[in-house]
Amino acid sequence: MIQLFKPALYGKVLLPALLWCLFSTVTSASSHREAPLIANDPLADNTDLYAFRSPDNPNTITIIANYIPAELPFGGPNYSTFGENIRYEIHIDNDATKPGDEIVYRFTFKKVSEDPTTFFNIRLGKENLKVTYTLERSTNGGQSFTTIITNGKVPPPNIGPRSIESGVGLGTTYESLITGAITNSTTGEKVYCGPADDPFFVDLGGIFDLGDAPRQNGNSRDGLGNYNVHSIVIQVPISVLLKAGASQVPSSILDSDYVIGVWASASRQTIQTLQPNGAAPVNSGNWIQVSRLGMPLTNEAVIPIGKKDFWNHLTPYDELADNTLDDYFYNPELALYMDDAFFGGAVPAFGALRIQRNSLQSFDFGNGKDGLYGLKGNVALAGTALDDAVFGTLLLPGPGKPRSVDLWPIFHTGVPNVIPYQLATGKFGNPLSAGKPFINNFLPNGGDMLRLNMAVPVTPRDDPKFSPMGIINAAVLGLTDPTYNTTINLQAIPNMDGFPNGRRLEDDVTAIELQAVAGVALAAIGLWYDDYTAGGANPVTPKLVNVLSYRTGVNENDKPFKTAFPYVATPWSGTEVGQ
Amino acid sequence: MQFSFIKKGLLAFALWSVAISASWASSHREAPLVSNDPLADNVDLYAFRSPDKPNTITIIATYVPLQLPQGGPNYFSFGQNVRYEIHIDNDPAKVGDEITYRFTFQQENEDPTTFFNIRLGKQNLKTTYKLEKSTDGGATFTTVVAKGIVPPPNVGDRSIGTPVGLGTNYATLMSSAITTASSGETVFCGTTDDPFFVDLGGIFDLGDAPRQNGTPVDGLKCMNVSTIALQIPISALLKAGAPATPINILDPNYVIGVWASASRQQIRTFGNDGNPSYSGPWIQVSRLGMPLTNEAVIPVGKKDFWNSITPYDELNDLTLDGYFYNPELALYMDDSQFGGAVPGFGPLRIQANSLQSFDFRNGKNGLYGLKGNPALAGTALDDAIFGTLLLPGAGQPRSVDLWPIFHTGVPNLAPYQLATSKAGNPLAPGKPFINNFLPNGGDMLRLNMAVPATNRNDPKFSSLGLVNAAVLGLTDPAYNANTSIQAIPNMDGFPNGRRLEDDVTRIELQAVGGVVLAAVGLWYDDYTAGGANPVTPKLINVLSYTTGVEKNDQPFTSTFPYLAMPQSGTGNCGGKLITATHDNYGGSTLGFGQQQVMMKNFPNPFGDQTTFKFQVNQASKLTLRVFDVEGRLVSDVFTAYHQEGEFQYDWNTAGLQPGLYIANLYDGEGRLIQTGKLLKH
Repeated sequence: MIQLFKPALYGKVLLPALLWCLFSTVTSASSHREAPLIANDPLADNTDLYAFRSPDNPNTITIIANYIPAELPFGGPNYSTFGENIRYEIHIDNDATKPGDEIVYRFTFKKVSEDPTTFFNIRLGKENLKVTYTLERSTNGGQSFTTIITNGKVPPPNIGPRSIESGVGLGTTYESLITGAITNSTTGEKVYCGPADDPFFVDLGGIFDLGDAPRQNGNSRDGLGNYNVHSIVIQVPISVLLKAGASQVPSSILDSDYVIGVWASASRQTIQTLQPNGAAPVNSGNWIQVSRLGMPLTNEAVIPIGKKDFWNHLTPYDELADNTLDDYFYNPELALYMDDAFFGGAVPAFGALRIQRNSLQSFDFGNGKDGLYGLKGNVALAGTALDDAVFGTLLLPGPGKPRSVDLWPIFHTGVPNVIPYQLATGKFGNPLSAGKPFINNFLPNGGDMLRLNMAVPVTPRDDPKFSPMGIINAAVLGLTDPTYNTTINLQAIPNMDGFPNGRRLEDDVTAIELQAVAGVALAAIGLWYDDYTAGGANPVTPKLVNVLSYRTGVNENDKPFKTAFPYVATPWSGTEVGQ
Repeated sequence: MQFSFIKKGLLAFALWSVAISASWASSHREAPLVSNDPLADNVDLYAFRSPDKPNTITIIATYVPLQLPQGGPNYFSFGQNVRYEIHIDNDPAKVGDEITYRFTFQQENEDPTTFFNIRLGKQNLKTTYKLEKSTDGGATFTTVVAKGIVPPPNVGDRSIGTPVGLGTNYATLMSSAITTASSGETVFCGTTDDPFFVDLGGIFDLGDAPRQNGTPVDGLKCMNVSTIALQIPISALLKAGAPATPINILDPNYVIGVWASASRQQIRTFGNDGNPSYSGPWIQVSRLGMPLTNEAVIPVGKKDFWNSITPYDELNDLTLDGYFYNPELALYMDDSQFGGAVPGFGPLRIQANSLQSFDFRNGKNGLYGLKGNPALAGTALDDAIFGTLLLPGAGQPRSVDLWPIFHTGVPNLAPYQLATSKAGNPLAPGKPFINNFLPNGGDMLRLNMAVPATNRNDPKFSSLGLVNAAVLGLTDPAYNANTSIQAIPNMDGFPNGRRLEDDVTRIELQAVGGVVLAAVGLWYDDYTAGGANPVTPKLINVLSYTTGVEKNDQPFTSTFPYLAMPQSGTGNCGGKLITATHDNYGGSTLGFGQQQVMMKNFPNPFGDQTTFKFQVNQASKLTLRVFDVEGRLVSDVFTAYHQEGEFQYDWNTAGLQPGLYIANLYDGEGRLIQTGKLLKH
């Protein structure tokens, strides 16, 4: 076991927050119908974003952006599909010294009815509302775009075997429709746009019933089980995503030049004019962003209802100049439900999650408290990420903002491989000394993005140590597994390629984020729970075990993922799903 | 029966009355444009004489299809900036609506600092409405409900029932939202269970209903809709100058046409803050009259157009009639077309040679050969009576049944009377059973308010509506002895209005299959004119046809608003049940904290029973004992050997005193593995 903390240092100095690296923030259901306005515009509703190094093709990164929440597989006669007159975009930032996107992928869709005389969607080989797309790419911050796929195919909805397989329908199989829709762009990206099983999993009903996850009465339910979404999946060579001037071979598995920030959006034109006689509405004017996504659940469960529409409208770069949203991370609403001084007693399902109010008998991370702010200016911070000389006042902006050191940066800057953002392993009780590196996705060039260090090796999905707990699991291994906890050398710990270092399809981001709000990331770097006495032998106290054991009751997707591109599972068929 | 006439003249059709047109699934996501605007998507329309208050008519319009009960954090409700309207026509002599009800909704947040919808008695996106009424064709409106309450979404027990939420119950929220308008109507606006039922997945997979492989599924089971329900005194709906008491149960003065719509302003502009504003004239984006018209009669290329026009516009439209004269669905019930391609419809075969004379298949002439025949004199098919309305030309076989049911309603006039006592001549007077003729526009739900309500617990009550009334009028000795007007059960059913229970999908498919033609004497091909028994195997096939989903998944209630409560977000409809998961107890993939067995129990606190659930990570003998707080053994719950995996144990605690208890779990060597606190209420 690690020797912890020298009590002498205690009340005075130390202790930061690698937390961010470990976890993001808040809660519960990625971003399905998450804000009032976009909930009423399903076609433009961005539900989830994933970015991970491809397990079967490690020289590439796979980015998946999902749209249109909770599509019913049997939602005929007009099954959900991508909307026309919408710009679906995936944005990539790879250089913190240049404002804005380095790469933008823009998808636009068109529909044609091949047989307008029938009310069926598919009949006799003909398909109505048949969708194709154009993919354009910009490498100059969105100023100009080049078309790299024309007339890309979107598979039809998976209506049922008569429509897809029989001779009265299309006479094929759904798997061949998916395979046949995978296209290579002229610039080397591999692309799939089409329906897929929604890869996200969460007990929507329980969680939004005032945080009842796991359910206190009866079994939990996957609120997205059996539903489809529309996925944009793009596999991009790492060499294409790499920052200009970066070395073709990373200097280490945490090479700072290999960090990208990814976010997705949907935009509509400012003016929509309905037409008489049911003709298609006419759209005109500038394009306005109506939905966006970077980190999961930000707008679902961190941003309160009064700010959700505003949040959707901003870009991550706008957030640099915004002061109105930071406090929802400094003092998150969810923390109120994990703190007996507030509403902890009102949410029994979160009973295992209790934030440090007296870590190391010195630090209080309850909402409104100072967290580590008392260390401000202390010489012990010199050279750490908390040193004003290093990152300005970014991480200790003021008193009463306890989560400025963990939740806020995970969402807003990523986490550097700098003290204190290293595991407690080898710190000998002093969180401000060098520890075991395990993350570097620092890219302080905007707000909410999914930040991925592309140099981190892939954990094979069939590795016995593969875990949907992502970096939390990597932290646990780095602290406890003899393979990793004997030195502070940089090593490839399994699941360092998991959320919040990017996001894999398997990652249980709801559990990870709830544990993070409860302070598990603080613990991982040495800010242990209240039932640990500084200097004591074993920081693995019951409160820590409680938090690490917490799960929401819905811990994996209801359908297995594919082992090859596009990785998302085949969409549910309209006739295979009951209620 | 006597059919000598047949080859020459005759033959009519009460069909319309009985059956309608096309297909399935009322109007959920039925047209491309509106399917992407769920808030303005009109789903279903019902109009029926209230069974418990027969002096009133209940009209129900549902909007916003397929709402998931668990669809948080922004649960569906009515939209702002949408006009939801219910239109009533009662006088064919006057153009347009006689009465229009207009509902508009507003939302406010009582606590914008939380992402929860309901917390500590406060509600976000709290919705209220204004109801306005026009009695001058929409020229002016008077407010009759100023600030009606819409109940919150049925988020779950914690949000609705506990003090951390609203501390009430959903039935109370619903009943206290019922309001009386200043003009006398009873009104409810709120979320309810979707009353419609249909196998969406099967039917839209090229007509696989009933499913040929596997069990039918009610695709709307577990789904909610946003409902507007109005209960209106018949006296307020009655045509000006009509007698306060009907002359008989088919009094033509008592016919109303009902339709519903949703409209938006023409121009939506997103501001720089991303918030939209709306301007310009109002444009109708969705409408509903008869169920399934736009879902399964109108083809995809015309659906958006159909939604944009009013029933009155249809009087001048010529582009849509062909879909009723020669409906697409009929192609799948005709072996000379695609009949063989849709085995689900096998029992439904349209008359190709009725009475060895008449062919009703698409493109054929149906009854057009009778045009000008003197035998039509005085019937509804006489050009002197209704012009060329019902026999507009050759090659339009369903102009006599499907088309008028949707476009004019059906008069109580030969041939639109049951074959009873017609002595084989469909053009002779028969047994009256419908009169909802109101030729003042196209697609509406037409209801004769004079027809008595059938009690929902009457043994003869049937979800087949007028098809059932026709069967009774033809076969039940209580009704088939003469041609006098009698109140036959289910004459108050679809398509004479529409009751919540009516299986309109089945009725309409049977109608496309020609069952209405048969009811008035145009029997199926396997009947030989003059034969003794027209109830042939083909007729029985059609009457027996069912889609496999015949009723709603929730029972209706016996009083206003009659609809079932909305499904709860945390109830059985709130997602896919997790029966076994990895990690359910946490820790198993973590480097520490792993235990050989993990236990939890629910509910806790509990009443007369609690369930222990175990995940065994390492096969072991296990013993569970429960102690009271003084350390006294209360129960040896069990001792058993368990393999790796999950299991659960239900413990009956009825005999336990209320209080705190400790559960201890031991392994085979008697080592304590885990303890838990138990609280009995």
